[in-house]
Amino acid sequence: MIKITNLVKVYRTEEMQTTALNQLNLEVKEGEFVAVMGPSGCGKSTLLNILGLLDDPDSGSFLFNGIEVANFNERQRSSLRKQHIGFVFQSFNLIDELSVFENVELPLIYLGVKESERRKRVEEVLDKMQIMHRQKHFPQQLSGGQQQRVAVARAVVNKPHLILADEPTGNLDSSNGNEVMELLTDLNEQGTTIVMVTHSEHDARYSHRIVRMLDGQTVLTDIMV
Amino acid sequence: MFRNYLKVGLRYLLKHKGYTFINVLGLAVGITAAILIMLFVRSEHSFDRFHSKADRIHRAWLQEFYEGQIFTNVVTPVPLAPLLQENLAEVETVSRVAGIGAPIHHRGNIFNYPVTMVDSTFFDIFDFELIKGNRQNPFPSKNSIILSEEAATLFFGNISPIGETLELEIGGEKRLFTVSGLTKNVPYESSIQFGLLIPFSNAVHIWSDYVRTSAWSNVSVETYVLLKEGADPAKVNAKIPSFMQPLVAGNYKAGEYNVRLQPLTDIHLDNTLPAGMVAPSNPLYSYILATIGILILLIACINFITLSVGRSATRALEVGVRKVLGAERRQLIWQFWGEALLLTLSALLLGVLLAYLLLGQFNQLANREFVLNADVFTLLFCFSLLILIGLFAGSYPALVLSSFRPVQVLKGKVRTRGMGLFGKGLVVGQFVASIIMIICTITIGRQLHYLQQKDLGFEREHNVIVPTNQQGSAAALLANRFIAALEKNPQVIDATTSLYSMAEYGWMQLGYKDDKDVFRLFRFNVIDPDFVKAMDLEVVEGRNFMEGNPADSNAILVNEALVKEYGWDDPIGRKLPGAYPQQIIGVVKDFHFESLHTSIKPVVMALKPDAFFENSSDVSYDYSPRPRISVKFRGGNAQEHIALLRENWKEVAGDQEFEYRFLDDALNAAYEQEQRLGNIVQYASLLSIFIACMGLFGLATLVVQRRTKEIGIRKVLGANVSTLVGMLTKDFVVLVLLASVIAFPVAWLVLKRWLQDFSYRIDISWDVFLLAALVSVLVALLTVSYHAIRAALKNPVHSLRTE
Ligand SMILES: Nc1ncnc2c1ncn2[C@@H]1O[C@H](COP(=O)(O)OP(=O)(O)O)[C@@H](O)[C@H]1O
Ligand SMILES: [Mg+2]
Repeated sequence: MIKITNLVKVYRTEEMQTTALNQLNLEVKEGEFVAVMGPSGCGKSTLLNILGLLDDPDSGSFLFNGIEVANFNERQRSSLRKQHIGFVFQSFNLIDELSVFENVELPLIYLGVKESERRKRVEEVLDKMQIMHRQKHFPQQLSGGQQQRVAVARAVVNKPHLILADEPTGNLDSSNGNEVMELLTDLNEQGTTIVMVTHSEHDARYSHRIVRMLDGQTVLTDIMV
Repeated sequence: MFRNYLKVGLRYLLKHKGYTFINVLGLAVGITAAILIMLFVRSEHSFDRFHSKADRIHRAWLQEFYEGQIFTNVVTPVPLAPLLQENLAEVETVSRVAGIGAPIHHRGNIFNYPVTMVDSTFFDIFDFELIKGNRQNPFPSKNSIILSEEAATLFFGNISPIGETLELEIGGEKRLFTVSGLTKNVPYESSIQFGLLIPFSNAVHIWSDYVRTSAWSNVSVETYVLLKEGADPAKVNAKIPSFMQPLVAGNYKAGEYNVRLQPLTDIHLDNTLPAGMVAPSNPLYSYILATIGILILLIACINFITLSVGRSATRALEVGVRKVLGAERRQLIWQFWGEALLLTLSALLLGVLLAYLLLGQFNQLANREFVLNADVFTLLFCFSLLILIGLFAGSYPALVLSSFRPVQVLKGKVRTRGMGLFGKGLVVGQFVASIIMIICTITIGRQLHYLQQKDLGFEREHNVIVPTNQQGSAAALLANRFIAALEKNPQVIDATTSLYSMAEYGWMQLGYKDDKDVFRLFRFNVIDPDFVKAMDLEVVEGRNFMEGNPADSNAILVNEALVKEYGWDDPIGRKLPGAYPQQIIGVVKDFHFESLHTSIKPVVMALKPDAFFENSSDVSYDYSPRPRISVKFRGGNAQEHIALLRENWKEVAGDQEFEYRFLDDALNAAYEQEQRLGNIVQYASLLSIFIACMGLFGLATLVVQRRTKEIGIRKVLGANVSTLVGMLTKDFVVLVLLASVIAFPVAWLVLKRWLQDFSYRIDISWDVFLLAALVSVLVALLTVSYHAIRAALKNPVHSLRTE
């Protein structure tokens, strides 16, 4: 599904230049659950953003389902993204002014799904995440675990093939964290490819494979059994 | 999709109530100002456009070059209308319109209600609405009269006036007129105003045959011309000399006597021509007002933008999330513009409501009777406001916020520290406009004060003017008896009769050719010996007229300006060289018998007018030459004075209507336009500084919010409250000071131009500028320090924990 070769990403600010990804190579197969680990600042988030077509690399190749997307423009990336990719962030990133239902509905709106169909799919996914009873509530009224479940619901509502999760349990206590990990595992079992950044060895154990990064490069790959 | 935007928009606005309130209120106030000013400007520009043939109607005006002087008149010779009709194939029809003085005798009372004499084609040309009567044949006989509703109510109350009679005194004889028609009251936006119409055939009672048929130097009626469809006014104008010139060749060379046509719809805003029935407006004032309206709106829009800039940190996150979820930039642009439109719509509704509520006050301010109707124009205007403001005010969030890259905002990398150059520029812009308006307010106020306080060379207080509305011996008799009755009263210091009082700005103008063949003009008044004393004029050389000295009827008083014009050192005993036999017996100190817009002109005052009229080659006047009585009171209650005058008037004048004017009111009326402008600018500057401060307040909230943590750390490190407040407010004060520096030269130029309209004016002084800057800085400080002090007093433990 994903094949990255010699990917380079350099951040330039006025004061300095940071090479976030340095000739990175990575392959992720359809249906895989990959955990990315490494010290802070080693480029994990940068990698995830590029995988999610939120950012473009400076050089190198990025094949997504066999198509070279490294040079896609904003519009192309946006359209690919909304059809195939779901995101889960450490800080949830729900929109405060929208209710649970409306937050989850948002990706479908941007996909142009009809209202009745939207309702059906949102209810389905809220039910699956067991937050149906909270659908009228606003993010501030929910606990951290509930918020992250909403975020996961929002990430999967458009049935993406790929879910990118950046430290999804980082802001949660262990029981809430475990719940989220269960959710991701379920999704993966149903066929969704998942790439997850994490600091927790515990969480990483849910995955099939751990990619370890250092200074913008992958250094090791542990296969889980 | 749209529903979602609307929902988010509404929730966003409701959640951030303070922000919404400031935005909506600021915009609403701006919109209110814009709507009210629109009513004014629209009225100014809609004059005479209600006639369906307005674009074909023209008014003839006359320009004469005579002895090196130019005379411009919008009243024309009586025979001009038939002449134009006869000689110009393009003319469909013509009508003369002449205001005449005709006292109305009705049920034992005498009214000085204006009477207008028009040709029977009047209603063919103009659309004035005839409720009763026949448009084709409005005057069945020479003694028919048509009344406006107002006049009908005045004379006949609520009964139908048709067939009723009024007695008009025309040409010294009472004549009975029968009401043949009733018109709607003439709209305010009409350059032709009338209450009573009589047919032009009555001209035979007023003017001699000669005046009516061939007196080309004698101007007395307005001439309106309806051109045929498709006629080119320029071509028509060009044809006039061919038949006009032969008629005036005896007195004028070619090009010295010019009749021209002016489009009806140009009359109101063309103040280069003299006033007709209604004084034209200075077009400058509607432009100034329109500019003020636009400025206030701009200030309100800028509020919106600065506040959006301030909020962008919060909104950026939403932009990021939405983009991650698949939103395209285009969609976000629509979302933000939609929100701006939503906000503008609420502001518009509130603004219209405010305009409605304030209409009464505004009418008072403008001395008009505007109504706010949901007519097409107003709706269109409001709709355009909505769209323009929405687009403009929403442009920052729509165009800038929507371009944020999700990776950056989700990482919190969007820089929103400080106000940014853009935000600062906007605040400066707002204050530039506000400070200009403050400087103008103060300076206009000072000029008006100067005009009202300036020593005019005569006493303006406790002076009441009573017009005799009579001519010749009848006027003299009435005046003498009235004055004799008044002078018995201890309250009355002096009473005097003069052809013109100080209240008429525009005495008679006489012209003659002096012994060196130079054409000379001077202002002329006929007075009695009491005039000088009653008006507190100062005789600087020679003496005043003496009571009962027959020789003085051959003497004149002149002013210093006249002496100066002729360059005399020893004026006493001299005559005006050439034409007049009268000798100068005294020189009075210059006094302002005209408004302070103009400089003092030469004046001649005499006891008897006859010799002057006979010997002058040119006589012209704006106010009818009917003597006025000026009564000077010892201080005291004005109402009592009027009661006293009324009582005595009744005794000597019987049925004739009593009229009066307070001299100081009459004098101040000359500056009415300026006074109104001053008031409006004053309100506008208050509004603009208010709106600008609301923006500043909002911005201060955001800046302080953003620096909460910094303030906490500084406090922990030992900063005290006053240093913190100083730190937080310093930036704003610097901005306001910068705005002052930009505003000063602009205000100076604007005011310099405005003051040029006055021959007597104040200097623009620097303290005004300092004052305006000081006021702005103070107001800004007050606004900002509220937040600054609150933030500085906050316990740092709280602000540091919330990370
Ligand atoms: N927008 C950016 N501008 C400049 N430098 C950046 C930016 N984003 C990330 N970096 C730098 O790139 C490196 C990798 O960052 P990141 O991918 O966020 O690491 P991780 O997620 O592994 O902690 C870091 O040194 C970080 O400071
Ligand atoms: Mg990271």
